[in-house]
Amino acid sequence: MFSPDFLLRNSVYVSLLIGAACPLVGVYLVLRRLVFMGVALPQISSCGIAFAFALHTWGAVPHLENGENTLAFAGSTVFTLTAILVLSFLERRGRGLVEGRIGTAYVLAGAWSVLLLVKNPFGEHGLLDRLKGEIIAVSNSDLAWTAGAFALVLICLLLFQKEFMLVSFDPEMAVTLKKNVVVWDALLFLLIGLTISMSVLSVGPLVTFGFLLIPPLIARLFAANMRQFALLAVGSGVASSLAGFYIALRWDLPVGAVDVALLGVVFAVMCAGKKIFSMSRPAPV
Amino acid sequence: MTGDILLKFDNVAVGYDRHVVLSDLQLALPQGGFIGLLGANGSGKSTLIKTILGILPPLGGRLEFPSHQGRAPVLGYVPQRESLDSIFPLSSFEVVLMGVCGRVGPGLRIGAEEKNFARQCLHAAGAENLSRQPFAQLSGGQKQRVLIARALAAQPEFLLLDEPTAGIDAVASLAVMELLSRIHREQGLTILLVNHDLRVMQKYANHVLWLHEGRVLEGTAHELLNRDKIAEILGWQLH
Repeated sequence: MFSPDFLLRNSVYVSLLIGAACPLVGVYLVLRRLVFMGVALPQISSCGIAFAFALHTWGAVPHLENGENTLAFAGSTVFTLTAILVLSFLERRGRGLVEGRIGTAYVLAGAWSVLLLVKNPFGEHGLLDRLKGEIIAVSNSDLAWTAGAFALVLICLLLFQKEFMLVSFDPEMAVTLKKNVVVWDALLFLLIGLTISMSVLSVGPLVTFGFLLIPPLIARLFAANMRQFALLAVGSGVASSLAGFYIALRWDLPVGAVDVALLGVVFAVMCAGKKIFSMSRPAPV
Repeated sequence: MTGDILLKFDNVAVGYDRHVVLSDLQLALPQGGFIGLLGANGSGKSTLIKTILGILPPLGGRLEFPSHQGRAPVLGYVPQRESLDSIFPLSSFEVVLMGVCGRVGPGLRIGAEEKNFARQCLHAAGAENLSRQPFAQLSGGQKQRVLIARALAAQPEFLLLDEPTAGIDAVASLAVMELLSRIHREQGLTILLVNHDLRVMQKYANHVLWLHEGRVLEGTAHELLNRDKIAEILGWQLH
């Protein structure tokens, strides 16, 4: 699959990048108990792509040479970042029903994606495939953009790991240590939003959510500290995306759906393995 | 105690979301004191402590730190341990390391010196053997020791603890109070401690704030926690 002659080589690379980046930011969504946001944001991102293409169809934005990706990226990023900042701000205020807000955002984004696409001629030329997560044709420039964006996310997560962990685990303590919780939260959510936008552009909302959620849940079964948690999440994401791509290729199946199904199998096996292991150990006296 | 004033409340109102819980506070907390904060549930103890910490802004008046030329002292905070989510797979050492974050700038790694200091804090809190254990799996008393170590790692000039002995057994509770008493004695640290137990306060605190029916009673432990005064405050009939 890594041969220079292999036609889908860029798709493999993009799969691996998403398998590494989504679990890394998904760790924060799981730890902050914002899993529902992980469902809603990819859907909102898709809606952003559909909206951007609708604007193009209505003549509100000019035609760009090879501008399809730029348009999709702009729509996805603007919608995702706006939604994540608004939802996280409301979550921090602690008022109202968080799940209700996120659920409403999810269902509305899904409905509007369909409505915006149904009358759009672009929908017949690849946009629906893009939203379904058919990772087939990835150009060199798409690959470079995705790699660049994920490298930026990775560098920021590594550089500011202690700040992100502090404001996530104990925001009150962070205030007493003179950390600006609002700024650090905003930066973390921007990174999450950027990762989701890039991932949805390549593999669609379903696969993005699968990689945001399931690898951190697998890692949580075994991790004793944060380093192990992050490494296990990334490791299971990368391994599943690679194995998923191979299985999809071998049996001519859709890559995204295979990736998520495989993650589900790995999670079930790991849960069962942990249960058996804990039952086989003697009970503490 | 040195006789200096660490924290002065000048007509302060505290509360949240514009809802005033305590108003017109005129208090002076002594530097180097072991200060007990007493009061029934909902009397405003946590609101008061969060206002001192800067987590909640005062709704009126001014908080001053006269002995620090106006600058806020470095604060160490031990929150109620239930407020920390057990979903985080943090080792106890990782929790304690958070205490040094105030001295390590954004983007910088925590160096070996700070890591050693965090280990010393674990040792001082009698929790060095818990270093590698997952924080979420510790008992109530063990968690409290780790959180005290984390607060010490901030090198605080003023240590504030919100109900550190709530929900832990009598032996562990005594151990935590003895630990705090030793830290206060050896480091001369000003400590403000929220606690419901009058006997604990009588034994350890030398200065008391008692929140009662919207008022704050302030005095030495000797003045406020004698039998007659307690009966007077609580409206008991003594025979």
